Amino acid sequence: MKRVLDWLRMRLTSQRTPDSMPGKVLFMLAATRDKELSCNDVYRMLDQFAEAILRGKPVKGFMASIAQHLEICPDCREEYEALLAMMKAA
Amino acid sequence: MTDRDNKAWVRELEKPGPQREAALEELRAQVLRALPRGLSRWLSPNNPEFDELVEDAAQETLLRVLKQLHTFEGKGQFINWVYKISVRIALNDLRGRKWRNVSLDFLQEEGDEGPAFQVASGMSSPESTAERNEIMQQLQRAINEELTAKQRAAMMAVVIQGVPMEEVARRLGSNRNAVYKLLHDARKKLKSRLEKAGFPPKELLSMFDS
Repeated sequence: MKRVLDWLRMRLTSQRTPDSMPGKVLFMLAATRDKELSCNDVYRMLDQFAEAILRGKPVKGFMASIAQHLEICPDCREEYEALLAMMKAA
Repeated sequence: MTDRDNKAWVRELEKPGPQREAALEELRAQVLRALPRGLSRWLSPNNPEFDELVEDAAQETLLRVLKQLHTFEGKGQFINWVYKISVRIALNDLRGRKWRNVSLDFLQEEGDEGPAFQVASGMSSPESTAERNEIMQQLQRAINEELTAKQRAAMMAVVIQGVPMEEVARRLGSNRNAVYKLLHDARKKLKSRLEKAGFPPKELLSMFDS
């Protein structure tokens, strides 16, 4: 019974934003690359990446791969945004 | 606040003693000052759990900094490396607190049971064109036919319900990297299927820009 209620709740939530879900999935698919960095790879470089961004460095090469992962991975993106907020001038 | 360079931080933290204690105290102060800024999107200082969470995270950060000191590569600023550690710790704590009691049983179901990943709402809205409906049908079919039940469940959790990957990993007895890989494989399958059917995702995006 609880499972049915959870499922119903989920369906109702997704129906509140009818067209954003396909758009969200399509966005992730469009951004998908054959080879992507792992969360570990990105975490290792996250502080250096954030520093480079704050210095206004152009995003290319390895940095572009990190940016791509951050576009797709909600957990890593949250950590990146939190780190950026901490690094900006107190 | 003294200005230590990277070498100085590592040198002072490496060995136990009064220098290490002073350095740790300095780091603690900086983390306590900066962490509220980092967490502001998820946690208000007015939240009763705020003080405890930030304090715990700062403590845990110092422990982890000492433990992982040898992994610091010296390429960026030391304090940013420390901030990064504190962010991971604090956000994982927040995620755990938020999702601990939420039922995600569908993640652990065997076989093809459980709710399907519904990518489109039941009835198409009046604004929906025939084209959009067809794309949604193609996407739904791809999801139903190309993905394993586990991939569907993980995708639903992460993309629709906004469950953190850490939390999905915990429920599956797995780790974040493995969940990322599971989803990456799923995305590749869907992308390939749509492209082969003549619906390259990149070109369809503009139709769903709301």
